[in-house]
Amino acid sequence: MSRASTSAAIFKTVIIQGILLSMAIAVVGGAAAFFAVGMSGLISAFIGAGLAVAFTTLTALAVWLGGKLPLGGFYGVVLGGWLLKVIVFITILAVLNHTDGLSRPTIFFTIVASVLGGLAIDAVAVLRSRVPVVEG
Amino acid sequence: MDATTAAGLVGNIAVIGYGLAAVGPGIGVGLVVSKTIESIARQPELAGRLQVTMWLGIAFTEALALIGLATPFIFAA
Repeated sequence: MSRASTSAAIFKTVIIQGILLSMAIAVVGGAAAFFAVGMSGLISAFIGAGLAVAFTTLTALAVWLGGKLPLGGFYGVVLGGWLLKVIVFITILAVLNHTDGLSRPTIFFTIVASVLGGLAIDAVAVLRSRVPVVEG
Repeated sequence: MDATTAAGLVGNIAVIGYGLAAVGPGIGVGLVVSKTIESIARQPELAGRLQVTMWLGIAFTEALALIGLATPFIFAA
């Protein structure tokens, strides 16, 4: 992994690696769930991993894009985006929870795996980064 | 008589679970953001670095919220 030298480079690295990790979790989890519970498990794994990567990537995108704004705009984008995102996810999960033909444990465990893996990527990217004190 | 009947509760108790799952991340994100604002006010030249660190704090805190939102998939009756 190359060392990111600006905050924009950190977010780019994190978003790309997060998407790759979630794809890997979707494929591995989907294969395991396919053999355990069949086609519904495969679909559920892709839904779970997709939801988790969207949830975590949107935060990074909000901080990245909000960073180009003045301080008030930054917090508006980050916190407003966070609130909006949580409401949208409650709605999506409520709909999925009442959808037949999905493997509910598979969705849960792929979401948890993607979130924890994403956190590991975030932490490593930030710890390895060298953000200059003053950015141009 | 089960526990919920004894307590006189009606409705879905999972709603209380989501409320509890929202309290922790709510306090956590509030603390992270308030301290970042305070730090940027003290040292505006560090804003870029502080915003990246703040995002890491929010990412860890919101993981609890997302896992809390997903628990009905395994805990629902």
